[in-house]
Amino acid sequence: MRADYVIKRTAFAIITIFVSITLNFFLFRVIPGDAVSNLARVPHATPQLRQALEKEFGLDKPKWEQYVIYLKELAHGNLGVSFANQEPVWSNLKTALANTLPMVTLGTVFAIVIGLIAGVFSAWRRGTKLEQVSTNVAIAFYAFPTQWLALVLLIYLSAFLPSHGMTNDFLLNPTPWEHFKDVLLHMVLPSLTLALTLYGQYTLVVRSAMLETLGEDYVLTARAKGLPQRTIVVRHALRNAMLPTTTLIALSLGYIVAGAILIETVFSWPGIGSAVYQAVTQRDYPMLQGAFLVLTVSVIFANFVADLLYFKLDPRITE
Amino acid sequence: MTLLSVRGLHVWFDLPDGRQLHAVQDVSFDLDPGERMGLVGESGCGKTTSILALMGLLPSSATVGGEVLLDGRNILERGEETLRPHRWNEVAMVFQGAMNALNPVKSVERQIVEPMELHHVAEGAAASKQAGELLELVGIPARAGTRYPHEFSGGMRQRATIAMALACSPRILLADEPTTALDVMVQAQILELLTGLSEEMGLALVLVTHDLPVVAQICERAAVMYAGAIVEQGPMDELFHSPRHPYTRLLFAATPDLYADEPVLSIPGAPPRLDQDITGCPFHPRCDKAFERCPRERPELKAVAAAHEAACHLNDEVSWSGSRIE
Amino acid sequence: MGVRPDIVGEGAGLEAPPPRRRRGGWFFQILRESRQAKVGLAVLLFFIVVALLAPWIAPYSVHEQTGAVYCPPSSEHLLGCDDGGIDMLSLLIVGGRTSLVVGFAATFVAMIIGGGIGIIAGYRGGWLDGLLMRITDYFLVIPDLPLAIIVAAVWGPSLPHLIFVIALLLWTSTARIIRSQVKSVRELVYVKRARSLGARNTRIVFRHVLPQIGPLLIANTVLTVAIAIFDETALSFLGLGDPSAVTWGSIIQFAFLRSAISAGAWWAIIPAGLCVALVIMGCYWLGQAIEDALNPRLKVAHLSPRSFRLRPLPGRGKDAE
Repeated sequence: MRADYVIKRTAFAIITIFVSITLNFFLFRVIPGDAVSNLARVPHATPQLRQALEKEFGLDKPKWEQYVIYLKELAHGNLGVSFANQEPVWSNLKTALANTLPMVTLGTVFAIVIGLIAGVFSAWRRGTKLEQVSTNVAIAFYAFPTQWLALVLLIYLSAFLPSHGMTNDFLLNPTPWEHFKDVLLHMVLPSLTLALTLYGQYTLVVRSAMLETLGEDYVLTARAKGLPQRTIVVRHALRNAMLPTTTLIALSLGYIVAGAILIETVFSWPGIGSAVYQAVTQRDYPMLQGAFLVLTVSVIFANFVADLLYFKLDPRITE
Repeated sequence: MTLLSVRGLHVWFDLPDGRQLHAVQDVSFDLDPGERMGLVGESGCGKTTSILALMGLLPSSATVGGEVLLDGRNILERGEETLRPHRWNEVAMVFQGAMNALNPVKSVERQIVEPMELHHVAEGAAASKQAGELLELVGIPARAGTRYPHEFSGGMRQRATIAMALACSPRILLADEPTTALDVMVQAQILELLTGLSEEMGLALVLVTHDLPVVAQICERAAVMYAGAIVEQGPMDELFHSPRHPYTRLLFAATPDLYADEPVLSIPGAPPRLDQDITGCPFHPRCDKAFERCPRERPELKAVAAAHEAACHLNDEVSWSGSRIE
Repeated sequence: MGVRPDIVGEGAGLEAPPPRRRRGGWFFQILRESRQAKVGLAVLLFFIVVALLAPWIAPYSVHEQTGAVYCPPSSEHLLGCDDGGIDMLSLLIVGGRTSLVVGFAATFVAMIIGGGIGIIAGYRGGWLDGLLMRITDYFLVIPDLPLAIIVAAVWGPSLPHLIFVIALLLWTSTARIIRSQVKSVRELVYVKRARSLGARNTRIVFRHVLPQIGPLLIANTVLTVAIAIFDETALSFLGLGDPSAVTWGSIIQFAFLRSAISAGAWWAIIPAGLCVALVIMGCYWLGQAIEDALNPRLKVAHLSPRSFRLRPLPGRGKDAE
């Protein structure tokens, strides 16, 4: 039954989220070098803050009780308080996440579109010089370290495009439209970097999938029916190539997150990636913990959506 | 009035080292409307390549020579340009192993409707209805059309590909090993289906197979191929009872008879390489009746009886005593 | 090698290509036949040799200032200097050594972990297999860099920690591959025979299973090294590497932190990233070439831009299509 698949994937998503939550707890509380006791490492944790945290998280209680408290707090959306700005972690992250999503979405969509075009082209014109160049360029962009690519674009394009932050601080009282344009302009470099770092991988995946499908018998059947080439490539070969492509794009979600972290750091884009970087440098463990959880849940959720999409695309999936 | 006339068909394939493989060598045969013809031979003898060439379904590494006359006009003349208009609406094909010949992500009905819409035979709801009728014709309930290929059994899938092949009412059906990989019961059903369609719809059939009993059952005529060339061609019962080429004789004799006490014959050796020129008869190394003329001179395909030709030097010899198969 | 069967569809009467032999010879055969493999291996060997000879070929020390702050490339300093006046070329050479060491070490650890888990899961099967595969799935879904960040942040910065953290991200692909290979090898007749004859499991694993999966494992290893080096640069950039170690990742990190860009010192950034990219490309070329050789694409494209050719009948003079 097809519904079985959906149920299984939902259960998997929920369990994985739970495992991540537990892992989070485990890392920060149980192993030696207890992160909260590492408050000693945090320069600006006041004694009052320390005491409040100890009480709230029950650091004097046995570990399993701490775990239960931790879960209860999570259920209430309480991810702790940031060491750095004394604000609740969740409110910090909410803003950050809202800033990251448009930038990442733009970059990823762009990468998928270019990857599809380049991948189909590479498979179609296999063996030609142009195809070899195209494929190796894709490999090169796949190999460039993301932060390095960001820095290179920064060097050469900062004269033409804003490369710092999300908005122009000198723009006073902007109208909504001006603000929108401002943000969009600032989004170009970070999204472009993400797109460039991703497209190589996608090109290679699409190329590989197309090479498979172009050799399938149903393509020969389509040709025998008298269908024009372009129709066969799109309606039969590409359509079927989307199956492994979807799977592999879903697997690249972790890579997208990594890219976001590195890119936001370079361009000071105030998103969740920057938040992670700052949390690391400031030893802001609650923020770090919270960010990890938010990122993990986002990726698990996105994976789940991808599973559903695959389910729609492939009628053979029954379990 | 000959429907299809293949004249001097040659196919070469490019090899990685720059040479060419001569896969089909000077194949010629005629097909009348409604006629059922078999094309038999071992794996690799060029029979599949021949019928793919008829529809121009060869890869870019192929070179084709010869003529394929449909109603007297050479459809091979300008390659893709002259071939494409006749695909499916005049000449259709049923492929080996319907598992992969059907697109797994589209419904069966959709795949039958696709050529209908392309060739403007029908559209939309009318096309769906006709697709349903075709499915019923081949023994599949019409409403099963909305299902996907993986939901069908092997035999049903093969029937579905036959229904799909009939979508634009072709006059010729090329069937490449349509019953291989099916069990015997289903095989018989498919063959019965093909025979019925041929008789009722006047559909000409070229049945390509290595399985002789299959051919013997439903074909009126057959051509036997060896090493890319036709070695014998003629009426089915003559091929069976008085073959005029040692390969044909051995081929028919090699089929084990469950009820007989005779030892199972097999033909020792292997077919010759097709990337080199062959001197003499291509079959002579494996032939039990070869004599000194055979390695030197390649026999030509000559008439040995009415509508029956064979390429063997023995037919020139007076003392040919072809064994009769009881 | 014989004719590719896909070209002609049927056997066409040619002898079958000789069966692929599973001794060391296979590697050189792949090398001989694939230009991609040759180039990849050449690039990798170049960097490995440079890394091995680092102490002797680095022109200057990486701990002393030998030039002006951010001095541009010159005849004395071929790639200029960094913000501390340290020669960039020397930094790259020494950094390359550390980066490669980290990459290979992390891969090695990942192979051990992934290989062990894969073999146990594939060989034993049953509930153990299920459990191990669930764990692998969870690791696959959880995003790599955040996981590495929190582990590294909690654990503290040092080279061994870095190696282990990276290995933590890499083992899953190896585990999967080994598991599926072990499963299929396990079902081979001669392995079944060995088991029924009472051969001990470890013996079976080493005598039969490993040689079969060897080549695929090599390909996977090479591709994993690429990812390991990529991860190292990312983690170092975020400050989670060993602060006292010089790696390509740390070079980029310092350039970023010490305003190399505003100083216009492109030489402090670009060469390091190029080195990383070249090593990764080399790994990719080599690894992919091995994988392609082991799993050849036997299908010929049924559709391609060029059509088949026509040979005109003699005396006709018609052009081919």
